[in-house]
Amino acid sequence: MNVPLYEKLWMWASGVLIVAFLTTVAIGVASSALQPPSHVETIDPAKVWTDPRFTARGVTVDSAGVTVVAVAIMFAFNPAELRVPAHRPIKFRLTSADVTHGFQIVGTNANTMVVPGYVSEFTTSFDRPGEYLIVCNEYCGLSHHVMSGKLIVEEARP
Amino acid sequence: MSASATGLRSWLTTTDHKRIGLLYFWTAFVFFLVGGLEALVIRAQLAGPNGTLVSAEAFNQLFTMHATTMVFLALMPLTAAFFNYIVPLQIGARDVAFPRLNAFSYWVFLLGGLFMNASFLFGAAPDGGWFGYANLTSKQYSPGLNIDFWLLGLQILGIASLAAGFNFIVTILNLRAPGLKMMRLPVFTWMVLVTQFLIITAFPVITVALVLLMFDRFFGTSFYLPAGGGNPVLWQHLFWIFGHPEVYILILPAMGIVSEVLPTFSRKPLFGYTVVVYSGVLIGFMGWGVWSHHMFSVGLGPIADSFFAATTLLIAIPTGVKIFNWIATLWGGQIRFAAAMKFALGFIAMFIIGGLSGVSHAAPPADLQQTDTYYVVAHIHYVLFGGTVFGLFAGMYYWWPKMTGRLLDERLGNWHFWLTFIGMNLAFFPMHFIGLLGMPRRIYTYGPELGVSTMNLVSTIGAFLIGIAALIFVYNMWRTRRHGAVAGDDPWGGATLEWSISSPPPPHNFDVIPTVASRLPRWSATQLKAIPEGAETAAPVHVPAGSWWPLIAASSLPIMATGAIGRMLPVVLAGVAILIVGIYRWAYEPFEA
Repeated sequence: MNVPLYEKLWMWASGVLIVAFLTTVAIGVASSALQPPSHVETIDPAKVWTDPRFTARGVTVDSAGVTVVAVAIMFAFNPAELRVPAHRPIKFRLTSADVTHGFQIVGTNANTMVVPGYVSEFTTSFDRPGEYLIVCNEYCGLSHHVMSGKLIVEEARP
Repeated sequence: MSASATGLRSWLTTTDHKRIGLLYFWTAFVFFLVGGLEALVIRAQLAGPNGTLVSAEAFNQLFTMHATTMVFLALMPLTAAFFNYIVPLQIGARDVAFPRLNAFSYWVFLLGGLFMNASFLFGAAPDGGWFGYANLTSKQYSPGLNIDFWLLGLQILGIASLAAGFNFIVTILNLRAPGLKMMRLPVFTWMVLVTQFLIITAFPVITVALVLLMFDRFFGTSFYLPAGGGNPVLWQHLFWIFGHPEVYILILPAMGIVSEVLPTFSRKPLFGYTVVVYSGVLIGFMGWGVWSHHMFSVGLGPIADSFFAATTLLIAIPTGVKIFNWIATLWGGQIRFAAAMKFALGFIAMFIIGGLSGVSHAAPPADLQQTDTYYVVAHIHYVLFGGTVFGLFAGMYYWWPKMTGRLLDERLGNWHFWLTFIGMNLAFFPMHFIGLLGMPRRIYTYGPELGVSTMNLVSTIGAFLIGIAALIFVYNMWRTRRHGAVAGDDPWGGATLEWSISSPPPPHNFDVIPTVASRLPRWSATQLKAIPEGAETAAPVHVPAGSWWPLIAASSLPIMATGAIGRMLPVVLAGVAILIVGIYRWAYEPFEA
């Protein structure tokens, strides 16, 4: 079969490219255990309830600051109600015990995805005391629409 | 068999790009109506708080199938209908480069669409969302057949898109008429070319993602399962590396259509042709570098967030350039407000709104308040409905006379446009506020205390207005069949080659392949002269004969998928056998039947 030279060149170039791509991927996986960029802190989703980082769920206020620890499950947040002080930085630490959920505090810019196998962490503060609705905004199955919680921001007592 | 034959057999075996274009159009239009009906049920359910029109289970299937149908079974194939019908005419070709592969694409698309929708018969329509985020789609959390139908259906549809993608790239690059240099191509054909490159590069990514998901579900691997060491975020990356170019796959053809309609109805060449083309190409490239703006809330870290915020802001530039060029095309033109022009102008206005809300997603802090709320639903509908669908309607009014020989009624077209325009703004504009007030997407129902009940009702009314407008359009098409004004070759005074031949064109398109000397061959004086009679006797025109093999080869794919869903290995192997025999016989089929 007569194949013109430029077609031959293209075929060789395609072959070389494919081999080069595969080699790059193989080296990346084998030598540096590459993962797609995502959270850095991991957790075994099967052991969320016994993991020491998530046994004390709820709000902790100590000298280090205010920390909220919560777990998202189908179809609720645990704990469902959180009371936090206003005007102070609050660190949220969240994880999921089953599928990917969302954690959005309506009316604020607190919104994070809660991915199983990872700990989602963010810090924010609330200046307006009152009741806020927490919703799961990442579609998580049949009763996704009932998955909600409550955040109560209280004026710090003197 | 003659290519002008009629009857069912001639349609089943056709390789004529115009017939395949019509098949694409009617099939996709039916799916468009189905997807629209699904949307109306969704809106009826959300019309008031605590709605109970459908069950939560049905609702989840409806919103999944609405999006999947609209993206893969309605909008993409509707653009493909125009690729098929118009591109060979615009480049002065007698057919696409691979006519039988073209037929194969269509049959694979039809059968894949039917396979996906057959899930309704089993009460197992896909319910994981069109984005199918892992690990909800895993066997553990979605044990039914729903996700299996979805992932196998999408793989089948991907094959149709890929085959068509290669076909059109080769067609546009190799079958251009003499003198039709790349920078003389009509802008629509240019945007089709860019779109096809996006398709052949983006669809392999979703295919890989779906194959991994298939392995997780069928063979017990853990690519996306954290319990087995997998990573659910991997799915999100793969999905959006496909998913964002997919947005441009949907919008670029509409931009191409608008770039044809505006000059014709302004009697002015497109302002800044070169810049419009280069902007389209640039969007094609940059579309690859923005996917993670769908994932800011995952928590990718400040470096990834800043990078994708910057690229997302940058991609607004070529898009804005196009908009200014379209407006400058109108400037000082003799504008005729035909229905095609109204939809093209509606496209510009609506796409600007959708584009601006899109830019607002570029800033991660703002995006965090918008992600997964109705704000995003508003945004995508301004882009895909106000953008793509308006562009497609403009194309339908514009090319309908070429495809059928009759003009669509302008008065009905006027009603169609205004009802659609008002309906879509009523339906989608309140969603911006609904979202910012905290209503998440994809929720079955909501409580009255959220304070979004009235706006949801308005939105539902708007959706039903769009439904009425669609019925008017259907009536217009039906009426035009008998009572439409006869179009003639060139009802609009178009500049491109498709207007130089009869409507509808003969099977071989061009008696003599034209020679092109400018970007606007029919507006340049030197090009207007008719081909002198008898001076160039047309060579005997070769029209490829029909073939059964594309249909037979295509039928193997749903057979394989059915075998896979039923866990029946012999059926899968039977499908493989049909595919091999089909391709073998296809390859060795004599050139003339």
